[in-house]
Amino acid sequence: MIEGYWHPKGSAERFVATFEINDLGRYAIVLEDKTAHRGDASSLKVSERLGNVARKIILEDGSTFSTLDNDGIDTLFKGRQKVNAVIHYMETHYRAVIVAFILSIATAFSFFKWGIPWTSTQIAHALPYETNNLIAKGSMKFLDKVMFEESTLSEDTKEKIRLHFNEKLSKLSIEDESEIVYKLHFRSWIMDGTEIPNALALPSGDIVVTDKFLQIAANQDEIDAVLLHEMGHVVHRHGLEMLIEGTFITVAVMMMTGDTSGMGDMGVGLGSALVSSSYSRGHESEADLYAFKKMLKVGIDPKSFSNIMARMTTYMTEDYSRKEKGEDDEFLDYFSSHPTTQKRIDLANRYSECFAQGLTTCK
Amino acid sequence: MEALRFNGTGSEYFKIWIVNILLTIITLGIYYPWAKVRNRRYFYANSTLADRNFEYHATGKQLLLGFIIGVILFAIYTFVTQVAPQYALGFMAFFMLLLPWLIWRSLMFNMKVSSFSNVHFSFRGALKTSYKIFLGYPLLILLIIAGTGILASVVIPPLESQEIDPTIITIIGIIVGIIMMALYLYAIVLIQKKSKEYMIGNSFYGQGAFSTNLETKKFLAIYGKGVGLALIPLVVMIGGLTLGDENSLEAEILFIVGYVGLIVVSLLAGAYIMSRTRAYVYKNTLLDDRVAFKSTLGARALAWVMFTNFLMILVTIGFAMPWAKVRMAKLMLENTLVDTSIGFDEYITQQQQSGGAIGEQIGEAFDVDMDVGF
Repeated sequence: MIEGYWHPKGSAERFVATFEINDLGRYAIVLEDKTAHRGDASSLKVSERLGNVARKIILEDGSTFSTLDNDGIDTLFKGRQKVNAVIHYMETHYRAVIVAFILSIATAFSFFKWGIPWTSTQIAHALPYETNNLIAKGSMKFLDKVMFEESTLSEDTKEKIRLHFNEKLSKLSIEDESEIVYKLHFRSWIMDGTEIPNALALPSGDIVVTDKFLQIAANQDEIDAVLLHEMGHVVHRHGLEMLIEGTFITVAVMMMTGDTSGMGDMGVGLGSALVSSSYSRGHESEADLYAFKKMLKVGIDPKSFSNIMARMTTYMTEDYSRKEKGEDDEFLDYFSSHPTTQKRIDLANRYSECFAQGLTTCK
Repeated sequence: MEALRFNGTGSEYFKIWIVNILLTIITLGIYYPWAKVRNRRYFYANSTLADRNFEYHATGKQLLLGFIIGVILFAIYTFVTQVAPQYALGFMAFFMLLLPWLIWRSLMFNMKVSSFSNVHFSFRGALKTSYKIFLGYPLLILLIIAGTGILASVVIPPLESQEIDPTIITIIGIIVGIIMMALYLYAIVLIQKKSKEYMIGNSFYGQGAFSTNLETKKFLAIYGKGVGLALIPLVVMIGGLTLGDENSLEAEILFIVGYVGLIVVSLLAGAYIMSRTRAYVYKNTLLDDRVAFKSTLGARALAWVMFTNFLMILVTIGFAMPWAKVRMAKLMLENTLVDTSIGFDEYITQQQQSGGAIGEQIGEAFDVDMDVGF
């Protein structure tokens, strides 16, 4: 027998009452003055258990019986609230909490590490090609305004490189995605008085090479290697992928931090930021792979790529770092955020061996 | 007068809290509305007055649709602002237009799904009033700021060209600045007061109506004192910056002292404004013209709990959050007094038509705090 209060429907008035269910599945609520409410127990609605807060039974006529005897209710209505029973079990057993804790770390990690990149790739490639142009719109103008200066190369030199690019490289992309229209731009990039060697690609197919990069490159093969790498970024729609990933991460972090049920209380946001830095690294390897494959096709030694990368890194660390660079320039520094890792060098060497054997594909 | 009580404990809530987080992560967020319901239910049901408890009746299913719409809207917003930041302003304007509706909607929903001793609350304010308070007045503030800015740009340059002593121009500038700040403060206070009146004055408990009678003057006094307090370290900081050589040791020390002071003092000022307005509003609120309320919450007690909670959460990288929340709930409730002599038994609820929680969840996705709270 459970003790509690009976409330008439929608009324604050309450009466001390008892509740029980007999063997036939009939319930009886008996008030102190012996008036009783009876009926079939299956018609009752029972509120879900939460800690030890008052539990409520709603009768068919809308009147309610409330009690603090949670265990008593659980015994009487055993098997009726299976989902809630599981949640309540977790909420009262530390062992279940620990299991769930490990599970959720695994889920969160997999979600950020694989779930978001995979989904972003799928979405990026499902979107129409024009999206790439849309997101790159205005970028070139912006970069010209804040970063680049005019190239000091002669028109002849530019034209020569362009011609070579159009004839040898940009054709290669036809087999991947015919809609891309590549366009080569020549610029000078000076930061703190140092000329920066770099090449970068916009999602629209605009590829920018800096004067210093062309100057550092030892031969045409090295230039081609880097250009193919940039084309890899465009073909794989990395710009769009980054945007979609960024959106996912922001939404996920918002859900964790901007709420009332306490997800953000745990500093999960920080973890996601750490994981997300590896995204761009994955993109670099993907672009490398694209470049190496194409290089075998057109007969360029993939070694050229690691050579030019190594030379640019050396230049940046020796020449550029000697001058004091400000903290806020760091994020622009391509080489510190994308170091030439051993993994990338290994891949280049493997493809270089294939090249040496005269192969056009490499396993 | 009898104080409310909070019967929950940190250790009990910790387990509910952590299971909520874990299930939300494992389900990639889908569980979120249900987690929210469990949190709310825990705090409502553990709040009691005269041995009767509050209840939160919303279900996860009710909150789900609004939650999904909110997340999708936020995702679109994030994506668009990354691609084309120039549209962010348009989004903000759209959101400002939507906000009064969201507030109105979530007030209705939240009151409807809350009950005390089996009798539900309700909110019957007009949408029009919500637009006046949460769109009309903020626009007025914008106009004031823009107006003063234009005025300054028109008045000051001719003065400068007439070779008037620069100190006079500076003094004029400072006076204009002070007038502008005073106007701004006045507008903020007015919005605060109007929104309190709107929220309380249109709320019902069963058939009993809440009523409140507030004076802008009293609000201004409280806010003026609070803001004045917060300004002191700011002045010290600016002093540190302008005091001769910006690299000098004295300037740096003044700046640091000002900075630390700013954090401490703004906490105190915030607690002061919050507790005093609370006390003033409660004192002037009646239910059914008979039931009186009172807040005994002090500024120092509030600041202390806020500060120690902050430290606790910081040290435990967030795991102390359940205890912090329980502490805060205890402090708030135990300092809320209600005249119970009238008895509750006569309150019969009036049934309201039902509706969803879209407003409430969209609002939450954009992190708008719309808690009415007791």
